[in-house]
Amino acid sequence: MTHDPTFWLLARASGLTAYALLTASVLAGLVLKSRPLGRRLKAASVTDVHRFLALLGLAMLALHGAALVLDRTVTISVAALFVPLLSSYRPTAVALGVVAAELMALISVSFSLRRWIGGRNWRRLHWATYLVFALGTAHGLTAGTDRWALPLYLGAVGAVVFATAWRVLTRPGGHHVQRGDRRLAL
Amino acid sequence: MFNVVIDGSLCSGFGDCADLSADVFELDAHGKAHVRVGTTADPAVLEAAAACPMGAIRVLEVEAA
Repeated sequence: MTHDPTFWLLARASGLTAYALLTASVLAGLVLKSRPLGRRLKAASVTDVHRFLALLGLAMLALHGAALVLDRTVTISVAALFVPLLSSYRPTAVALGVVAAELMALISVSFSLRRWIGGRNWRRLHWATYLVFALGTAHGLTAGTDRWALPLYLGAVGAVVFATAWRVLTRPGGHHVQRGDRRLAL
Repeated sequence: MFNVVIDGSLCSGFGDCADLSADVFELDAHGKAHVRVGTTADPAVLEAAAACPMGAIRVLEVEAA
């Protein structure tokens, strides 16, 4: 009798979806800063999308972890979801994902704590998102079993590298400045 | 010279403006940004407006009096 593959399929699907959501959130954050479409994109809307994608990604990570614990294809304990290197299945590869997930959760929570930790520290911590993305990519490539997903990882890395280069090479436009119009409307 | 206005309904207290242009912006007790001086010659307000994640800052370039 073969075991039920439901949780194994759910674990793989949720992991890939979480990675896609993390990538999309990083891209939205970079679009927010480089503003390639100027005033056609409202900053507040992009910020909302950025945060929503990150929170949805975290929810998908929780599903990813729960499905892995419930699955019988690989043996991963609840403790191994939180403590790196406890997993008997590809311990190093799984540890990359554990650290990435915990760091991502910390960065998300820090938004609510920025009044206590200060704006500068909050922004410094936000740079760690690049580490989350790198660890998540390495985790997906080394712990994942879906070889067909390689184009997803390559596309995600390419998109983030491109958007980062765009952010570095371009200054935000002066769309927030109005000249000679005293009827300042907000 | 630049006239600076903050849309209080949009401001979410990220604080980028106060960090980039402390002479013009400050955060109140509720964490919301306020303008210390409405008009300034400091071009840092342009950077502060561009950095606002909520797009809550509008800058109007005016002739010096």
